[in-house]
Parts: sequence; structure tokens; C-alpha cells
Amino acid sequence: MKKNFAISLASVSMAQVSMARVSLAHVLLTRVLLTLVSLAVAVGAFAGDERFDLSDPDQALLASNKVFCSNEPGETALYWWQGVVFSRIPGEKDRHIFNVQGMNIRQCARFEDDEKGVGFRSVSREIMLYLDPGTNEVLKTWDNPWTGETVEVMQVNNDPVNARGPRYARDDEGNARIDWSEKTVINGMVLEGGEAALLFYNNPLAGDYQDFEGGKYHASEFLTAAYPLDDARDSGQTKIQDSVISWGRISGWLPWMKMRKRSGVMVHFTHGMRLHRWEDLPEVLREEIEANYPMYREPPPLDDDRPNDTSWTVFKRWIDGKRAAGELPEQSPR
Amino acid sequence: MKHHYMTGLACLMLAATSAVAEERFDPDKPEDALKLQQKFTCSLNEGETTIGFWQGSFFSRVEGERDRKLFGVIGVNVRQCKNLQHPERGPGFRSVSREIMLYLDPDTGEVLDTWTNPWTGEELDVIHVANDPVNMRGPLYAYNADGEPFRFKGTFKNGRVFVSSAYPLFYKNPLGGDYQEYIGGTYHATEFFTDYALEDDVLDPNVKKLDGMTIAWTRVADWLPWMKMGDRVGLMFTSTVGGRLTSIEQLPEPLLSELKNNYPEYMAPPPLDDSRPNRTSWMAVKDHVDAQRSGEGQ
Repeated sequence: MKKNFAISLASVSMAQVSMARVSLAHVLLTRVLLTLVSLAVAVGAFAGDERFDLSDPDQALLASNKVFCSNEPGETALYWWQGVVFSRIPGEKDRHIFNVQGMNIRQCARFEDDEKGVGFRSVSREIMLYLDPGTNEVLKTWDNPWTGETVEVMQVNNDPVNARGPRYARDDEGNARIDWSEKTVINGMVLEGGEAALLFYNNPLAGDYQDFEGGKYHASEFLTAAYPLDDARDSGQTKIQDSVISWGRISGWLPWMKMRKRSGVMVHFTHGMRLHRWEDLPEVLREEIEANYPMYREPPPLDDDRPNDTSWTVFKRWIDGKRAAGELPEQSPR
Repeated sequence: MKHHYMTGLACLMLAATSAVAEERFDPDKPEDALKLQQKFTCSLNEGETTIGFWQGSFFSRVEGERDRKLFGVIGVNVRQCKNLQHPERGPGFRSVSREIMLYLDPDTGEVLDTWTNPWTGEELDVIHVANDPVNMRGPLYAYNADGEPFRFKGTFKNGRVFVSSAYPLFYKNPLGGDYQEYIGGTYHATEFFTDYALEDDVLDPNVKKLDGMTIAWTRVADWLPWMKMGDRVGLMFTSTVGGRLTSIEQLPEPLLSELKNNYPEYMAPPPLDDSRPNRTSWMAVKDHVDAQRSGEGQ
């Protein structure tokens, strides 16, 4: 149990570092400590295995954090996905209106807490492109089949998409946050997901009387993941090697579609995976990011504390910018 | 037939050089593309059972309120394939299967017998999905009836293969009347599937079934008929994750016990030559309601 010892040693030392913010010194120290831990683990490997002990809350979190991020602060994690968007309107067959290509680039800051143990907070940027469902070309404009209007397409470019705070090994009551014994493991693959984030909150584009009038932001998003348990348990790697995902969303129409209050919803359904090199992203994403969204090649800084972007807040800035530039009328026409 | 001849020749050549070159399926060759599809559907070995399992949740979406998790779900599909050879259309297969999906209490995970509809207040019998059979209508061959080659639609990426499909459904509802195109009531849903497997397993002809395959399934549809929502506005959607099992004993509870105790015939697929029409949940509800009505003398 040399491995456990090393991690507790790290915890004690880390606890002496200020908890409030992640400084460069913190990052460097973490790296040194991680190296120490790795060394200890490597030594331990001769005697036993080089695997996390999932019954230990700290190691359970380290195994979990590898899946979507990296245990090495500042090491970039890249996920990619592609898929389809369908409309659903009562009384007609659902229509395949877009394809999508998306990516999220992130990194994690590492924390230590006397009671809660090791913790991580992720910071990320996210792009999702709407493509012609026939040709897979990036759409600049879109002919809305229900209104007949040609509208300008706003691609998803959300910066940042951050975790509000760190996720620690233990919760406020001291219970382990990640219970690996409750996960579904079939033939060595961990199957995660089957729940959804049920979103219903004030719409930044709507007015001050949404509880009376309607117009709230209303959507649900669901993510699933599958990865080998052995990959997550491998303490010799800072991030998981093989991980595949699905992501879906049921929501109202996107604002740029100019559907106003027409009945119906949009359904996104995608599949994707972890990538290990920028070059593995599909060309359409790389070219679009390099040409129009160059800062999305890197995640935000580890101590980023800006409020999160959503497609609705980005849309508001986009329209407000056009209005300020005189490209659009100041207000909605009366 | 030229294709088969060439495949045979290619095999001979490969066999001669097998010390250096390993034989792999070629996704661009219709005969091989068909085998890839068959692996994602079932086993390449005729009559070998494959077990697909999934779990997740059913949610409601009603305008003006936050979406609700109505049920947990857990399901299993038990399947086998018949292998076919057609003089013009080349190799083919047809799958036959049985399927169970249970609706669970969203908090406790227990199998629901009854459910109280939160919008109407009515307490209702839950009709779990028990569809026997769920079969391919006809075989799939390397070439279709018009001679078009079968094309494998998977995405190959970094050692992984993704097979994703969406089926928008809009057809006559067996519970609806004879004027659905005028007054509505048409069956309206879209089903989304992705199968995930390792490229090495998919392309290796010696790997007959994909034990490491995982899946994601989402369905967006009208209310289930047994919920008695009538014409109320809203829809349901699912989020699920799953994979292949190598033994029925790997099924998580409560599905395994439920299967053994209440649906023992669903532990094996239908016979290979099963020609019964497919069952859907809507038919099952119709039978249930019709039986209830005749029992009540209505």
C-alpha cells in the first residue's frame, strides 16, 4: 500500500498550499507531487499492480477524472462528436435538417482539501458546426423550410464552458463522491449515462415576465460514455485512452432559425470519442476553427472565472453587435 | 458471381501469403460490408445467440414546464441470425429476436405494476414492453434486388467503428381510426441508435461476434398509450446506454429475475425460420385494452 501512502503524503503537502486559487506555483508543485506519486506507484508496481484502488475515495476520483479530463493539471483533453439534428413538429414526419460536427477542448485544475481530499475543476471551450445534411458543408445561411426565410447560421462557439467549482473525492458529509461499485460494467466496459440534465431557466433573450408570459430556456441534454474499466484504473496514465460517447439534446428551436413560437422541438443525436491529437479532428472542424475561431485550439486558463457561455448568450451578443453596427434594426419591429 | 469467384481467389492468395499478411474484411467490398453489418446485428455463426442490453430513463417534455424523469428503463433483446446465400445477390442474413423492456420507479428502480399519471391523477396499469417477435422482415444481401451493392455505413476513427442510424417513423397507428391523415393520431416517433465497436474486432473474420460492442439509444415519440394522455400536448424521450452480454446471467437486476420468473421464453430467440408478423408495444396495448373491455362487458 505504498501507493496510498504517497497519495496521503501528497494530500498533506497540498493542504498547506492556499486553496483559494490555482497559482502557477500550485501547478508546479502539483506536478512535482504527481511525479513523486508516480514514482511511488512505479515502485509499487513491482510488488503489485499499477492500478488505482477504487475503494479509496481519492483514487476513485482520480480514476473518474481521467475519463473526461486529465489528472495532470494543464494537460489538454480533447473530445469530438458528430451526428444529426431532426425537427419534430406535431402532424408531420420528423425531418433531418442538419448534420453537426463538434469538439470540446479542456483542462483541469487540481485541488486538495483537508476533509474532501483531491479535487478537480474543468475549464473548456466548445464548438459545434451546423452542416448541410446532404453535402456536409458548413452552413453560412439556411433556408428555413417552414417560414421560407433565408437566415444567417450562428455556429455554437461557447467560451467558456467551465465547471462552477471543483469536484472533490468526498462530499461535505465526508462520503466518497464516486462509487465505482455502483457502476455498470459489462465485459470489462464501464457503461455510463441514462440520465439527463433537465434545463429550465430564464432565457437571456426573453423579457422580465417569463414566469407569466413563457419563453423560458427549456431543454434536456444527455450524455453516455463507454470505456474499459482497466483503462480508467491504470494509474500509469494521466488520461483515459479509449472512450466513446453519445450526446443528445431535446430543445426549442435555435434563436437564429427565427421560428418564433412555432410548435415543435429540435433533437440532436451524436456519437464521438476522446482524441489524443489535434490533427485527429475532422478537417472541416480544424479548418473552420483555424480560420474563424483560433482561440478554440486551447482551453481557457486554469483559473478562468468568467461566467459560462451558452448558445443563447452568444446569440444575444451576436445580434446586439449587429444592431450596434446598424446591420439590424435596434429593436424587434412592432 | 464474379465477386464470389474473386473473393475465393483472393482467399487462396491470402492463404498462400498468410505468414506475412493477415486477412481482414474490406469494408468497400459488398460481401465483406454485409459481414460487418451482420456482426453489428448478430453473430456471423448461424444460430449463435447474441444478447443486447440497455438501461436509462424515459422523460416527458411538455411546453411551459421543466422536463420530468418519468421512468427508469432496463431492456434486453435476444437474437440469432440465419445465414443465406443467393445465386445473384450473394451472401445474406436475417435476424429474429425477442425483446423486453421494463418501466421502473424513477427513484427506487423497482419494477412498476401501476403508475399514477401526474397530469391526470389517474392510477394506471403499466404495460411493459414484451415484443415477440422483433424480426427483420426480409434478408439483407450483399446486393439488393436491383443489383446495387450493399454499403457499410460505419465511421472508422482511431481504432473505433461507429454505426449510427436514425429512423423517422410516421405511419398508421393501430390504435387510431381510419381517417388519421385528416384528423391526426398517426404513429409519430424517431429512433436513434449508435453501435460502438473496436476496429480490430470488426475487421477480423475470425471474430464472429462483437462482445465488446456498446450502444446508445434514444427515442423521441408521443406518449405511451397506456399512460392515457389522450390528445394532451407533449412528448417523451429516452436516454439509454447499453452493450452486448456474453451470458444472460450478466443481466443486471431487476431484469434478470423478472425475465426468469415472468418471461422465460424471452431468454432464447425465436426459431431461425420464424415468419410471424412483428409485435409492437402499440399492438400489445390494444390487446390489453380490448381484453379489459370484453372482461368488463363494455
